[in-house]
Amino acid sequence: MERLDVSYDKILHAYPNEEGSLIPLLQKMQATKRYISPEMVEAVADYLGITESQVYGVASFYSQFRFTEPGKHSISVCLGTACHVNGGETLLETFERDLNIKPGECTPDKKFDLNRVACIGCCALAPVVKVDNDVHSKVNVIKLKEIWTSYE
Amino acid sequence: MKITIDNKKIKIDKPATVLDVAAQNDIYIPSLCAHPELVPYGGCRLCIVEIEGRRGYPTACTTHVEDGMVVRTDTKILKEMRTELTQLILSEHPSACMMCDDVEGCSVFQGTIRKVGITTGCRWCPKDKDCEFQRIVESLGIHDLTLPGLYRDIPIEKYDPFFDRDYNLCIYCGRCVRICNEYRKSSVLSLKQRGKFTTIGPAFEATHIDANCEFCGACVSVCPTGAMSEKSRKWWGVPEKYEASTCPLCSLNCDIQVLTLKDKIVGTLPPGVPHEAGGELCVKGRFCLSELVNRTTRILEPQFKYKEGYGFVSWEVANEKAVEIVKEVKPGRSAMLLSPSLNLEEIHFAKQFAEKALHTELISSSCINENLLAYMEMASHSVSLNDLKKAGCLLSIFLDGNYKYAPVTMLIKDLASKVIPYCQIGWTKDTTTRFATHFYVPKSGDVEGFLDKILFNLKKEKAKTKQPIITETLAETKNSAMIIGPEIMSLTNCISILDKLKQVAKQSHSMIYMPNPYGNLDGLLALVDVVPFDEIRKKIDKKEIDLLYLVGDSAFKKNPGVMKIIYQNAFPAPEDLQPDLILPTALWGESNGRYLNTDKKIKKSYSVGDRHGYSLPHRQVFLDLAKSLKVKLPKFSAKDLRKEFQLKLKPVPEKIKVPAPSKNYPFSLVQENAQHVYSSLNLSTGIEGFGDLVKADHILLHPSDARKQGFNNEEWAILGSSKTEKKFRVLIRKNIPKGIVLLTSSNGQLEFESNPCPVKIRRDHV
Ligand code: SF4
Ligand code: SF4
Ligand code: FES
Ligand code: FES
Repeated sequence: MERLDVSYDKILHAYPNEEGSLIPLLQKMQATKRYISPEMVEAVADYLGITESQVYGVASFYSQFRFTEPGKHSISVCLGTACHVNGGETLLETFERDLNIKPGECTPDKKFDLNRVACIGCCALAPVVKVDNDVHSKVNVIKLKEIWTSYE
Repeated sequence: MKITIDNKKIKIDKPATVLDVAAQNDIYIPSLCAHPELVPYGGCRLCIVEIEGRRGYPTACTTHVEDGMVVRTDTKILKEMRTELTQLILSEHPSACMMCDDVEGCSVFQGTIRKVGITTGCRWCPKDKDCEFQRIVESLGIHDLTLPGLYRDIPIEKYDPFFDRDYNLCIYCGRCVRICNEYRKSSVLSLKQRGKFTTIGPAFEATHIDANCEFCGACVSVCPTGAMSEKSRKWWGVPEKYEASTCPLCSLNCDIQVLTLKDKIVGTLPPGVPHEAGGELCVKGRFCLSELVNRTTRILEPQFKYKEGYGFVSWEVANEKAVEIVKEVKPGRSAMLLSPSLNLEEIHFAKQFAEKALHTELISSSCINENLLAYMEMASHSVSLNDLKKAGCLLSIFLDGNYKYAPVTMLIKDLASKVIPYCQIGWTKDTTTRFATHFYVPKSGDVEGFLDKILFNLKKEKAKTKQPIITETLAETKNSAMIIGPEIMSLTNCISILDKLKQVAKQSHSMIYMPNPYGNLDGLLALVDVVPFDEIRKKIDKKEIDLLYLVGDSAFKKNPGVMKIIYQNAFPAPEDLQPDLILPTALWGESNGRYLNTDKKIKKSYSVGDRHGYSLPHRQVFLDLAKSLKVKLPKFSAKDLRKEFQLKLKPVPEKIKVPAPSKNYPFSLVQENAQHVYSSLNLSTGIEGFGDLVKADHILLHPSDARKQGFNNEEWAILGSSKTEKKFRVLIRKNIPKGIVLLTSSNGQLEFESNPCPVKIRRDHV
């Protein structure tokens, strides 16, 4: 953890100091660690002359950005309309209970992170759960444990 | 331009929105997110109207009037749609204050559903009856919910000083975010996430303090709901009166309005319509004033020190005792110390009393020293805030501040965002820093050398070498302006630094602006020929003073060796001072008074609240005493204010060498003297919330400096220079630059041999 003052200068200076650089910068930043850390937000804010809260406000609006360290496997529970009415919320809650983490967080052993997503385009298979790139369809609470234990 | 709104023909001469025009003509269109200071947002959609020839239902707040427009604001369909929208908001906004069966009789019968023997009504929203959303619901005649309600159950945020935030009541009008962003230009708040997970606040879960919030309260003022509420008057109910006055907490003497309820001062706001009054004030004027006057420790009755101890006495007895004391003392053997927050009338009568009754010219204030006099001398050439608006470039020097001089910092942000070059020299990143083209943090031993460099470069004829950015800015822009902060007074070699700054200003033809943290120091200097405090101290040591008359200034922690002390103040004396006579006085807001501000304008403040206990205004005390002593005190007239006055300045003293940081002492310690004092009360120790912001007797460190040493908040650290070693608690603050340690000591004295001073920090292992 002792990488305290890592410099983001190289990434920053590749982009002009203007409003339009915000999103591409965030994307580049995220690419280095798979998530956006508070230090990155600070660096981007300083570089663009805006506040951290402005950076975070924009970044957190887009689901492509995450702000916590991702686990080895990413679990995404769909809460789009079709999945929602078919019990997506219950699936998410079960995950939260089983893994003891909240959406956006990562298990202490860094194995799994949990996310909620809106519609991943396979509504016919609702409710769906995505683990990394595998889509699991018509999931129910009983199937859940099977799914995540298979990735352990 | 002519338009028609609801059959009313209206003439308009300048561009405006439909909503504005309607409001000016007393046509009510419900609106929630619109605000006169803010760019139209079109977020709540309650202001929808019908316009002939246009499709759909445009929002009045974002639609500009055009010639011949025919607008209808109150059709059946509009009302239905507004009701529907409001129902949607109500499904997520608690509605017990509006939908309760007892709503009508509530304020009359004060029923309660709690199992307690009192009848108070259920009060759970701090803005009940002062809420814009309530008014909308009422105007639409909604009495029932049509959609199932959802309580968001977001934890209430209480950990920052001065205001609480309950976002369960938030309706996402975004006014708070926008006023902070557009008007204050502080951008502390953002709408975070989206959809139903939207929250409001700084990045991640940062506290407002860490997010560089100025606690100006603009967001709190404009929130239409109870989502944001002032801690100190959270449950006091709707104020009855809003009266214009002036803030006495620094030399800017901002215009304010004072809120009272049953003649008790409950709060302060900037001028304007309450829910629209934005944020022209700093935290002191916005939140500290009402807490000051309502402090429970105030002295309420005159007290006399009998042999057996203190006893409460009536004013008659107090007067007799005062007369005895005064008569006992030989002429010229008394000294009077005045608080620089007294108003002009109070200073005038104090001075007259000193001259005519005490026969002394020894008048001072514990804040008056060589540095301050030099500062004030230079400040007498200050331009006005209005002149500053014409600046072509700005340089701020040791202004260091989110919590003071708000009109100045707002002006800086405003000008700088209009691409006027702005450079900053200082030790804290404040909300102006991100607008600075250049932010220079002097290390220990750097200050004078740096100014020398600027001077040298300025004097050079068209240098070929590339000029340092600050010099360039100053030299090449017309109307350059330097804003100098009073923190400079606590620096070593202050006088010679001021002298250099004077030369820089002269060489670059810059105007200067110099505020100070005292409500009426300018007035004090214009009325009284003050002597430096040190001179009085020396006289006391030489036993030349028998009576010390303290007026709003406590000056000493214990009796410095005089026979008698009269202590006239609203706040209690330090425990060991043991004055012989204690006279309780009124504070700001409890008597009329005038102040002289940095702009050299006279500002009035009014008596709006009831006096506490048996306290009397200073003026009254002096007049009564004079009467008993059979002397006459002349009336005050503004003509007594001297325009030109000579401050007794000593020549620039010999310079002390301030060492630079070294391997052994790598940090630069900067000591700020706590100057936020009102009538002897130090705001840092006297007002809890202000103490959280300007934390006394703590050292402030940048997170990475703190982490390198393994420090957490509130842990003990030993701070050592080559000569001194002292223990302080650590506070981690992001706005402290790396390599800097900031210390505000509560006793107003320097703790180390020089300021700045190179130091090392280590953990205290006990
Ligand atoms: S907190 Fe108040 S001002 Fe801010 S968005 Fe919510 S309701 Fe509007
Ligand atoms: S108090 Fe002022 S600076 Fe702080 S968040 Fe509110 S508006 Fe912004
Ligand atoms: S709603 Fe879940 S895939 Fe579309
Ligand atoms: S006031 Fe016009 S949309 Fe809110």
